[in-house]
Amino acid sequence: MDFAGYDLDDGIYDEMLQPNGEPREHSRLLYETLCQLSSDEIGSIQERVTRSFSNEGISFTVYGDAEANERIIPVDCLPRILPAVEWRHLEIGLTQRLTALNRFLNDVYGKARIIEDGVIPVDVVRGCPQYRSEMCGVTVPHGTWVAICGTDLVRTNQGFVVLEDNLRVPSGVSYMIANRKVVKTSLRRLYRSSRVRGVEHYGRLLQETLRELSPSGRNDPCIALLTPGVYNSAFYEHMFLAREIGAELVEGRDLLVKDGFVYMRTTTGLRRVDVVYRRVDDDFLDPLVFREDSLLGVPGLIHAYKLGNVAVVNAPGTGIADDKSVYAYVPDMIRYYLGEEPILGNVQTHLCRRPEELEYTLDNLENLVVKRVGESGGYGMLVGPHSTPEEREAYARQMRADPADFISQPVLPLSRAACLIEGRPEPRHVDLRPFVLHGTRTRLVGGAFCRVALRRGSLVVNSSQGGGGKDLWVLED
Amino acid sequence: MLSRSAQGLYWMGRYLERAQHLCRLLQLQVEALVDRPVREIHLGWSRIYATLNRQPPFGGIQFDRRDNYTLADSYTLAGDLTFERSNPDSVWSCFAQGRENARQMRHRISAEMWICLNLAYLKIQRLNIEDIWKTSPENFYAETVEDIHTFAGVAATTMYRDEGWHFMQLGHHIERAQHSVALFLSQIATARLYPESPEADCATLLRLYHAFDAYDRKHSVEIQPHQVLDLLATDPLLPNSLCRSLDSAAAELAAIADGPSAASSAAASRLAGRAQALVRHEWPDRKDREAMLRQIDEHCRNFHDRIMTAYIDYSVEDAPVH
Repeated sequence: MDFAGYDLDDGIYDEMLQPNGEPREHSRLLYETLCQLSSDEIGSIQERVTRSFSNEGISFTVYGDAEANERIIPVDCLPRILPAVEWRHLEIGLTQRLTALNRFLNDVYGKARIIEDGVIPVDVVRGCPQYRSEMCGVTVPHGTWVAICGTDLVRTNQGFVVLEDNLRVPSGVSYMIANRKVVKTSLRRLYRSSRVRGVEHYGRLLQETLRELSPSGRNDPCIALLTPGVYNSAFYEHMFLAREIGAELVEGRDLLVKDGFVYMRTTTGLRRVDVVYRRVDDDFLDPLVFREDSLLGVPGLIHAYKLGNVAVVNAPGTGIADDKSVYAYVPDMIRYYLGEEPILGNVQTHLCRRPEELEYTLDNLENLVVKRVGESGGYGMLVGPHSTPEEREAYARQMRADPADFISQPVLPLSRAACLIEGRPEPRHVDLRPFVLHGTRTRLVGGAFCRVALRRGSLVVNSSQGGGGKDLWVLED
Repeated sequence: MLSRSAQGLYWMGRYLERAQHLCRLLQLQVEALVDRPVREIHLGWSRIYATLNRQPPFGGIQFDRRDNYTLADSYTLAGDLTFERSNPDSVWSCFAQGRENARQMRHRISAEMWICLNLAYLKIQRLNIEDIWKTSPENFYAETVEDIHTFAGVAATTMYRDEGWHFMQLGHHIERAQHSVALFLSQIATARLYPESPEADCATLLRLYHAFDAYDRKHSVEIQPHQVLDLLATDPLLPNSLCRSLDSAAAELAAIADGPSAASSAAASRLAGRAQALVRHEWPDRKDREAMLRQIDEHCRNFHDRIMTAYIDYSVEDAPVH
């Protein structure tokens, strides 16, 4: 495999190569191994990886695409490597961030001191559609509102920054494990020599976390993973995780609430459920409390939750903390609750609810990324430099109509990693989503779902927008 | 286990058995196209459609056509029964439904089972009737049967023997029993309509049940229709006999713990017992096989309904809490 002609750009960090074309120290072994492989050899490795995903049906549903009900998620066979020291930095930063976010949720649904003290404006919190007044005054087990967090990180020449926190129903961890399973066996000698941290025990850590959150006095808690069903984009992951943690994979229709307890219908009668690991959005969780037209949820679930008879993970209402407007205040939260400086920075964010920032955004649309605060998965986003004047004009009209629904950020030169494109190595933009778990303590596997914008020049890595994945190798010390 | 999981595995067993059964029928039918008389070919198609309780497309099967028309008709009929997406009884539909149930229950079956089934599905998905008709369509049916057999073997060696296994097997055996009944009924009807050449039909039946050797051992080489039916219905040593399917279904049910209502589970069990008793004890003495088969069919349908009531669709009001 030949790296001649591999495109390096001083303004964009390359995960494998230094600006002079030499491999970075932690990637040297990978680089040398790849250089020794012929095109046919690396081609057959990629083919094996792709075929393995197809054979195993590792899929991701793309909404609105009838042909893509079971789209096989594209995976690149070349791993991205992070040295131990970088990972340690991320680990500490992510733990700090999640601790502050949980403190924020306890506060904001409690005494709301952070608002009272003027750190975050009241309208940013209470005007957010993700704010659930129904959760005010609720005490959650161990103060853990967010037990499973998938934080999107990107790297620029200045280092890592947090792109967004996913605190509701973050997905992608199954692809992290699937990528690892197939890539490590395809590059077996390199993997063994590289001393890579394992990720396959994620299921065990998740199970431990969920068990810690079960109502007290339940020795062998029954865990159920609540899925919206087979048409959900992440159904594969729901099934995968249910298996990993030994949980029943349930839909709303399988559960019922009786006398304040949650039960599932089994072949021998009703079995009490202690922990609901929900992969259903707040809106659809309980038609008696949230959207009354929801067929996906369980009537009475929130009542049982408030009684402390069942744990719901992540807790309803966590969306307020990963709202794109609230995101801008996370560094202040860290300072406010922990008295520490943030270890991981944010991307500079303009809140269009502020008139001067709206004007700035409208004046610089072609240079900014504009997002709707309530959207995720790359939906409803405008990438200024890749947009047409007509798209910008249409977007600007929407922004003027409802400024509070938008934020803007500079277009970041996301780092690039080598990918195998038509038999040759080419750089593609990447991010990474590590999964942080927190029950009574924080747990983290040494790895992440690394997303890749496979289209040349594209910055959109979301699986729902055609992005793919690659294995991320975190090296041992 | 979760009721919906039990239901999914039960239907997976049923659909895959349905796909396999139809493949076997079609395999023998397309083999007959090579050298059997036109009338026999027509009868074969009629029997398959009668077994499925389905009307052939384009106004039915014409019995007075010449050879080339028969082949053209056969192509259309095979397409309808094999790859037609809108036909819920086609091989493709049954296989896809079985695989869809497996997909939704992947956490309940072994990883090896899923991969085996998914690979077979990916293969079928790429094909259409033109592809298989060009060379030897019987190979396609044989390979699909083989894939389902492989799946059954992988399941037998890798799947945990919990309730999920028993529900899957239960679906498989009930489906097989119902198919047998439908096939025997259509055989009786055909023999009544066209009494002149029953041997060929009986030979097809024996081949379908892999029962030629067993028949030879018990009887003479000369095929007697009533003996064929007796063998296929009542021989407990024949792997696919009706008797064995009913015995196996009853055994699988017995291995499953009572549902929320013991009375409801007992009712399902009684129905299985009645169907077994009919074949084992009453079959030899009853002359009216057709009426008896209809009775067994009725029992099988009720058996299915009872299983659903006992384990899946029960009322939660009085259900015990664990």
